[in-house]
Amino acid sequence: MAKKVLIVEDEEIIVDLLQKKLKNEGYDALVARDGDEGLKVMRKSNPDLILLDILMPKMSGLEVMAEMQKDERLKKIPIIVISNSGQPVEIDKAQRFGAKDWLVKAEFDPQEVIDKIEKQIGK
Amino acid sequence: MIIFRSLKSKFAIGISCILILVFLAQAFINIRATEKKLIEGANRESFIFAQLAAKSFVDAYEFYYFSDFQKFREVVEDAKKLTPYISRVRLKGEAGKILFDTQDIEIKEGVGPVSLEQAVRAELSYDYKNKKKGRLSEITYSFFDESGSEQHSLIYSISYQAVERENLSAITRAFFLALLLLNLSIFLISFLTIRITKPLLELEQGTQIIAKGNLEHRLRIKTGDEIGRLAEEFNKMAEKLRVFIRALVESKSTLEKRIKERTRELEEEKNKTLAIVANLPDGVLVFDEKNNLTLMNSKAQEFFNVSLEKVRGKSLFQLSIFPGLKLLVNFFGEEIRKVFREDFVLTEQLAFKITTLPLMREEKGAGNLVILHDVSRERLVERMKTEFVALTAHQLRTPLSAIKWTIRMLLDGDLGRITKNQKEFLEKTYKSNEKMIALINDLLNVTRIEEGRYIYKPILADFLEIVHEVVRSSKGAMQRRGISFKINLPKEKLPEVFVDKEKIKLVIENLLDNAIKYTKPNGKVALSVKNSIKELEFDVQDTGVGIPKDQQERVFTKFFRGANVMRLETEGYGLGLFISKNIIEAHGGKIWFESQEGNGAKFSFVLPINNKNQSKKA
Repeated sequence: MAKKVLIVEDEEIIVDLLQKKLKNEGYDALVARDGDEGLKVMRKSNPDLILLDILMPKMSGLEVMAEMQKDERLKKIPIIVISNSGQPVEIDKAQRFGAKDWLVKAEFDPQEVIDKIEKQIGK
Repeated sequence: MIIFRSLKSKFAIGISCILILVFLAQAFINIRATEKKLIEGANRESFIFAQLAAKSFVDAYEFYYFSDFQKFREVVEDAKKLTPYISRVRLKGEAGKILFDTQDIEIKEGVGPVSLEQAVRAELSYDYKNKKKGRLSEITYSFFDESGSEQHSLIYSISYQAVERENLSAITRAFFLALLLLNLSIFLISFLTIRITKPLLELEQGTQIIAKGNLEHRLRIKTGDEIGRLAEEFNKMAEKLRVFIRALVESKSTLEKRIKERTRELEEEKNKTLAIVANLPDGVLVFDEKNNLTLMNSKAQEFFNVSLEKVRGKSLFQLSIFPGLKLLVNFFGEEIRKVFREDFVLTEQLAFKITTLPLMREEKGAGNLVILHDVSRERLVERMKTEFVALTAHQLRTPLSAIKWTIRMLLDGDLGRITKNQKEFLEKTYKSNEKMIALINDLLNVTRIEEGRYIYKPILADFLEIVHEVVRSSKGAMQRRGISFKINLPKEKLPEVFVDKEKIKLVIENLLDNAIKYTKPNGKVALSVKNSIKELEFDVQDTGVGIPKDQQERVFTKFFRGANVMRLETEGYGLGLFISKNIIEAHGGKIWFESQEGNGAKFSFVLPINNKNQSKKA
């Protein structure tokens, strides 16, 4: 059974690209357009990994992580943060909230995403 | 008469009077002596006459007394005229009977003839009227007969009228002479007074008038003597004095006018200066040489939220009780030091460039001027600009990333098969996009450096590994341009360095990219790394276009691009070296270059090998 990866991202093109790439690589890609929706989806579908954007409307990635920390089940799900700035401050903060790895938006390419996902949960 | 009031005049008159008195006394003494001599002469003459005339009188008596009495009388009168001193001649007969008297014209009746020739002897006797003066009253010539009894006598009455006359005239002469002398002396005194004292007096009065300030007054003394010349000199002096004083008065009034004008000008100047200082948009504080605050313009008072009255004269230490000024005091410390355009942030909204100027007065330090140039607005604008660039760059990253990923996926066949031709175009598009991403990243880095948010994450790293990584990715570009590349690395293993790997990689990339970019095809690029115990040195040398001498100063400033480079290669924003310099310096290193235009360039940097950091890591 294909592993479930939840993409929490508001930028449509990125969501589309990631979804396409993940599907091509044999993952089951779920999508949420903001933090709030992300939490709902992860509670319902129990994904194997979450790609979490930090800068989002309604609820930021950091808030989502804080919320996940309160839930015994959710806090076990590995998170790869998608940082807009790639700033150490932001990444440090994300790591403290339990992020396993990070991607910097303008720098990574789709293959790097796949590499990092594989590193966390395998194929 | 005023002239006789002077002591000198009184003295002169007194002396004159005494002299005249002496003269008069002398004259009287002389007159007395003369009188005596005259009386003696008169006596002598009378005696002689009495004796000589007696014979004549006797003879005449014999001849004419009885016959021609008139004749007799004439004879006696004539004889008597021979001397002035005999006033009366009488002939006394026997028993005292007067036979003849020159005063009686009548013949004495009953007088018998007398023969004087019968007289045996004659005797002269005299009687003094006034013995003291030796004056005789009468001389008697007596005839005696044989029996010795007196028969007849001739009595001569002596008159001193002539002497008296003589005397009187002498006295009169003396008096007249004395009067003359007196007149003469008064005249002389008057003369002298007029000729000497008067000019002197005039001189005195004139000088007094002049001395009182009437310099128009002139002495009118034309005596021609010393006094006259003195007066002339005095007039000259007065004239000179007048001219001088007029000039002095004029110059004084001119001077006063000028002083007034100058004072007014200075006052105006001062007011102007004060107004300028007061209304300067910059905050101005004036400290004296003891670092006491003496002046604070309104802007400065506004900045620090204090009024001048409260802080004037206070020392730096005393000023630190005011919250606003405390920061300024902290900025300076113990004294106002020399500062040029240093940043001074007072509050979030108020930032300044602070400059101090020493105040010089007669080449001595007279304190300091502290100028606070408000750069809050500039800072705000700068920050807004930086934020704008950051935001723009940031907003560009997402779409650029999307483009990048889309192309990548197209190239990887994730989105279906593409033709070879399509793939070539997509690859070029991908590269252009990469360049744009690099530029955006550079811009973001610059804004972060400027905002002070360019944070480094140093870790212990193998420097050569970073170098190799960069060289590997640059090989393709070098081959394409036909550049021969040489690399010279130390044989022994380098100690690990404590660096931010990504940032150092960026620096090496920048330097190597520049070397490749600005070297013409078939040129050479050489890279070397060497080390000492304390630091390692990285050099990249190329045979490229070099940097024009006049632009070398600006190489490490942002947006710098060499003029020769612009013609050669239009790409690039002149940010690489600015970022590199900041990175190297943030690591405690140094970056520099050597270059000649047209003769290549050599860029070098050193990084410290810090054992302390290594131990910290361990």
